Amino acid sequence: MNVTQTNTSTHAQMRAPETVMRLAQLGSFHQSRLSFMRTLTRRMTQENWTFSRPIFEINDQGVGHAVYCAHTPNRTYSLIAFAHDLPAEKRSDRVIAQAWDSTFTLFDGIPTRDDIIRLQQNVPLQEAGRVTQSELSVSRANRSVRLWEHVVARLAAGQQPDLAEVESVGYLMRTTAVYGSGKLGAADRECLAMRPECAAPFQIEMLSVFLTRSYVRDLAQHMANLRGGEKAVTLDPEIARSMGIGNSTGLGMAPFLVNHPILLNNWIAAREEAIARVRNLPTASADEVETFQNLFARSVLSANIWHSAHPIQIEKLTTLRKDLQSLAMHIEAANLMTDRPWDRLFIWADAHLRPDAVECLASLMLEPYGTLVDPLADQMSDNDAASFRINGAMTVEALNVILTDNYAWAMDIDWTAKAASARAWYVSEEKLEPRLGERFEEPIAEFEQPLAPGRDAAALYEALKEWTPNVPIASFLLAHPEHRHTVRRAQIVDQAPFAEIRDNTIGSDLLPIDMLRCKLSFFGATHFDPRSDRWLRICLFGNAPYPEELQSSASDFWPYPKLEPVHP
Amino acid sequence: MSHSLNEIEALSKRAARGAGLSWGIAEEGARAVRWLASHDLPSGPLLADLLEQTDQVARETLAPLSLDGIWSAASGTLCPLASGATLNDFSDRMSAGQPIEMARVSHPLLVVPFAAWAAIHLGAPIKISWLSVRIITDGYGIWTDDPKNQISETCAASLICGKATRADEILTKPSLRGEIPQADWARLGKLAHRTYAPATEESRVLGAGAGISDND
Repeated sequence: MNVTQTNTSTHAQMRAPETVMRLAQLGSFHQSRLSFMRTLTRRMTQENWTFSRPIFEINDQGVGHAVYCAHTPNRTYSLIAFAHDLPAEKRSDRVIAQAWDSTFTLFDGIPTRDDIIRLQQNVPLQEAGRVTQSELSVSRANRSVRLWEHVVARLAAGQQPDLAEVESVGYLMRTTAVYGSGKLGAADRECLAMRPECAAPFQIEMLSVFLTRSYVRDLAQHMANLRGGEKAVTLDPEIARSMGIGNSTGLGMAPFLVNHPILLNNWIAAREEAIARVRNLPTASADEVETFQNLFARSVLSANIWHSAHPIQIEKLTTLRKDLQSLAMHIEAANLMTDRPWDRLFIWADAHLRPDAVECLASLMLEPYGTLVDPLADQMSDNDAASFRINGAMTVEALNVILTDNYAWAMDIDWTAKAASARAWYVSEEKLEPRLGERFEEPIAEFEQPLAPGRDAAALYEALKEWTPNVPIASFLLAHPEHRHTVRRAQIVDQAPFAEIRDNTIGSDLLPIDMLRCKLSFFGATHFDPRSDRWLRICLFGNAPYPEELQSSASDFWPYPKLEPVHP
Repeated sequence: MSHSLNEIEALSKRAARGAGLSWGIAEEGARAVRWLASHDLPSGPLLADLLEQTDQVARETLAPLSLDGIWSAASGTLCPLASGATLNDFSDRMSAGQPIEMARVSHPLLVVPFAAWAAIHLGAPIKISWLSVRIITDGYGIWTDDPKNQISETCAASLICGKATRADEILTKPSLRGEIPQADWARLGKLAHRTYAPATEESRVLGAGAGISDND
């Protein structure tokens, strides 16, 4: 567990959890150097990973399989991709879908023929199939019908795709689930935790998506070649690079943040520690300022080309663009080199800008300082099983102090008001899809999942009032096992202050997309595009180098769009 | 069938909740099953037995009534999860050398993981015994002596747990995989199913926020 430590020699401390852990703030997070995609591409570049494609057997109907290998200095990981011919009416991004355009597994090592035969019988079924400890993830992807047909048809006809079409979608396929950590029988994270390339969170899942991007590009080219014959042309590398892998993310990610409090703490604490370190730098060099200014300009561009049709996001984008303009004017006149430049800049931004621009700046300030920031990535996993144990010897009085220190926001809410607990999280029997319902309108309350820590903490605080202060909490729990999960959380939050979302997660005004954006920003996603209040689309690895480009491009700044336009 | 430990824990938690346990005890019971499975000990079948036997029984009648002297339950039989959790909560009592004794515990093997966590907390190996079974654990590894094959007995008249005097046994380390027989997996699945809301057209459309085409 990362306990909040502030270096005594510094001035700026980490921001308070009361500020950072509000949903409006978390829902405004931006990718940073510590995002999991960037940690992966940095490692692949630094360690000179090599890549190969030993199998690509796909017929003219687009059916077959392919294997993509990533060779680290010590081992090989292989993405096994199965290509299917999916009837249009079966294409859906929902968890409840039963068939997909392509299905994948990341294999630990190099698969034999027998492995591939075994996986061919299971991976295309996804949740209805079974994998083993040799498999590290299971995932699937659907085509963007519009862009796929456009790109294949154009290439087949000897032309490059239309840039406006490419930009408006951004990807040829989108993943609709990437399962890791033991799902469907795959290897548990504990099996891999000791490998240095798995020290940061979600590295296996990110590697799977990174290799999927190569497969998707190759498959589109393959289909264009088959269709166009000699007329077909090769996709321009610049256009190819602009395309990432889309991703549809639904409600499953929101409970994840609540169910993994220490992991959430470690992600936020690492980024907050990085921000504090940079704010405490006494000066900045001309090179560092130039890096910042260049990436700031690219962030402004990124905000301008970020599109969404959702009213909430449209409003957020308008605010973000306006605030970035104000920030640009401020930066033009500001001294960015001496007298704690980043701290002064951040204090100004915090006072004058809304959360989206503040978080954008916070991430940008980290960019010139890889040496200071990047090692924090290895502290972002949760390797602390011991925190699960309740400290039964803690007194009622001590627990009360923790509750008043960390859950005052929850005690201020009138939980008897219908609006405060209007929603309930539940799991549907249909493929166990996580859902959010209206507690007072649907028969779901009896199926409610424990995803309202604020309400539960307030109830615990009430129940404790009857108890003598010096009694051990163990005695209280023997009489009140219904508060056990809440006592555990409170004790975790006492050690890990960023472990709890400090907002109502069941209120009528809850926007689950805030929770999704927080998690996806740590993946490294940009251009969040909500499609409702509870699911959104993003793009992963857009503008990232392809495997064969990692060494030549040598740029860690790929998430920021280039200032000069792409042209074939 | 070979399962990942995460799968085992996830299903066990849902099954325990489905059988009416509090979330907190369900979480710990699921961790306990994971711990036993990682040591290749009977786990899923024991949990399924326990949950089926105590289904609809008021949980408070299965927990220790008083912590003075020998622990016992109002119903006559202690639940190993409720008493295991209490044992772990009060584990400081064992640090002074005072053992904890329980009368009539069902599925006593399920108490062992809780004693294991107490061992980690105390930084000292713990010994648990019932019938002819002797188990020592430092929290991670385990040593078992089970001359009469009584490790998965459904009930022990007496269970004693305290600091181990000898710690020279060679402890077996856990593995990263577990085996749960298919039939027991299905029994747990049936209990877990109670926690899933029935699918309705309304929830299918609204609950996950669809409504806009996701096929573009």
